[in-house]
Amino acid sequence: MDSQQEFLSEQEGQAASSSADVKQWQRISPIAIVYFMVKFVYGLLGNVVYLAPAILIGYKEVLANPHIWLPVGLAAVVLLLLATFLSFYFFQYRLTNDHIEIRSGVFAKKHINLPFTRIQNVKLEQPIFYRPFGFTCLQLDTAGSAKQEAKVVALKVDFAEQVKKQILAAHKAKLIITDEAELENEQIISPADNEILLNKRSLKDLIIHGITNNRTWIFLGVLAPFFENIANYVVLFFNDLGIDIEKLLTFADKPWWQVGLYVLTLTFICMLAVTLFSIAGSIISFYGYTLSKVADRYIRRSGLLTKHEVTMRLARLQMVVRQQDWLDVLLNRMNLKFEQSNANMQNIQPGAHNNKIIVPSVKPDECQALIDDVYPQNQMMNLSYQGISKHFLIRNIVYILLPIFSLLVSFFIVVEKVNVLAFIVPLFAVLLLMVFCRWLRWGFALDKHFIYIRKGMFGVDYYCFPRYKVQQTRFKQSWFLQRKQLATVSFVLASGAQDIPFIPQNIAYQLIDNALFEVESSRKSWM
Amino acid sequence: MATHQQPFFSNQTLLSTDIPSIEKLAQQPIEAIYASTNRILNLSITLCVVMIALLIKYQSFIEISVSTEEVMINTVWVIAAFSLSFTFYKAFADVRKFYALREQDISFTSGVIFKKTVSQPILRIQHVELKRGPIDRKIGLANLQVFSAGGAMHTFEIPGLKLDDAESIRQFILSHKDANHHG
Repeated sequence: MDSQQEFLSEQEGQAASSSADVKQWQRISPIAIVYFMVKFVYGLLGNVVYLAPAILIGYKEVLANPHIWLPVGLAAVVLLLLATFLSFYFFQYRLTNDHIEIRSGVFAKKHINLPFTRIQNVKLEQPIFYRPFGFTCLQLDTAGSAKQEAKVVALKVDFAEQVKKQILAAHKAKLIITDEAELENEQIISPADNEILLNKRSLKDLIIHGITNNRTWIFLGVLAPFFENIANYVVLFFNDLGIDIEKLLTFADKPWWQVGLYVLTLTFICMLAVTLFSIAGSIISFYGYTLSKVADRYIRRSGLLTKHEVTMRLARLQMVVRQQDWLDVLLNRMNLKFEQSNANMQNIQPGAHNNKIIVPSVKPDECQALIDDVYPQNQMMNLSYQGISKHFLIRNIVYILLPIFSLLVSFFIVVEKVNVLAFIVPLFAVLLLMVFCRWLRWGFALDKHFIYIRKGMFGVDYYCFPRYKVQQTRFKQSWFLQRKQLATVSFVLASGAQDIPFIPQNIAYQLIDNALFEVESSRKSWM
Repeated sequence: MATHQQPFFSNQTLLSTDIPSIEKLAQQPIEAIYASTNRILNLSITLCVVMIALLIKYQSFIEISVSTEEVMINTVWVIAAFSLSFTFYKAFADVRKFYALREQDISFTSGVIFKKTVSQPILRIQHVELKRGPIDRKIGLANLQVFSAGGAMHTFEIPGLKLDDAESIRQFILSHKDANHHG
């Protein structure tokens, strides 16, 4: 291990000196060329939909005239290499008295100068091709616009760690972090000695998470460029088995029970496939999940292909969400989310969940322990929640669902298509059940510090936020609600708005008045 | 469990007599000229649409097939009807916009059937903007926009303020923030 460390520091040269101060303009490691190339290819694949016709037409043309197209292809590759090399060549950074400066761009030059104090969030992101060489990307977020955001593309892991520490130290000078980051052999991002591990997710947990939460889209996102080939392959595969899918799917000449059986089987196969994809997606984004804590900072690390590290200071936390879908309820698992300000929502990449720290599929006791760690005074699960008025049911069922239902029914009876009712009546029953469950779940509770909201339909979600984090309040009342002395309250937080509908008017006023009073009298900062 | 049921609101009822309530805000209407200008504006846009439709119908420069003409005329009438009812609705809505300024927050009340009161603590304001379109400039009004960390969806906005009023509210907000930072 020692020799490896020496090797690393040798490569780093003077840059890795103890204070991580780089006064001179510095180029990043040439491995960044790979990064730029991958980024370019990803961009190309992202546009594959638009390029597909050109490729399809071009394919035959290319095969027919290799003497023209081979040089063109080579030229394109050379151009790509040149472009990525230039991107690397012009990418420079330096660190001077608590500022980081980044120069980049070949034609359109970009110069970013960021004081450490304005950096909100430091993230380390490690694509798979960086891992053997011990490099990482250092991503710096500011509270401002997305354009102001900076990324140093290829740094040695231990150097990046040092820079990160320096930035965080600038935030809180009195917070002294031990300087010797011990580089462990297996863990790429070395935890400081005072880091406390709060939670870990095993592969089993991730599989459960994949089943209960649809993470298919993460997996599909990765596969997107290859959809057509996969579809072709599947058809070929079934053909080889002696099953002609196209013939199977011609329903006209088959009795209805056979069609029904097909539909059932197909649905089942699709569900199975979706579940498997979902499990794959869950593992891709949460593999090796750890949640740990250094002083007031919570750190989430996970990822199979690209390792993400998200750091959140406790003060930045806006709301805690304990989420349970109906399957989670059955399995007694839940997802815990720590929501931060979503001011830079635009730069969320699929699978990264940049602004949230999510703990996937935890057990109730673990969940409670984590919530207690964040908000020791919370009573989320001990309070009794006050439900919302039954007028919520009356409004949705009597005034919205019933008129639509009776209109549809009378319409289909008039046009003498009574068999359609066989679909409409069960659908209506399901909708009724959904409205009822929604009403049953929706409730709120208060204590000295927090506002709690419970909602959901077949699952149940709990939201908890400190009163002083409120950004804005909304009091909403229609004529009908006013007659019933009811109102809807909405609290706007930096992480989004939360509604409590159909509660007694005086309680609504009290809720708002108290929240405003808390914000204005405590004068606490929301971040 | 039963012990937890009791503290529900107990803390609040103690305080609620002292806490100022948004139920009794000193509501100030926005400028009357805002509503009347809007009325004229909406009405003239509606008339414009109808005029164009009639022009197209009775002009003799370009041939239009009968079926297209029918469809077009019908669409225009529908649009005209909508825009007329919108004008009618706005005539009621525009005179029901109020704002209230307190030491620590601003509130804005609006809505005819669905009433809404938005309250914005000044402490949470990130920046203030005065927006003035050409018509606003003509009639000396301004639109006050206040941004918080709640995001673009929740921008707090008071339309139809006299320019002086808007400027002084803006100044009030800015000095309030200053006082907070230095105090």
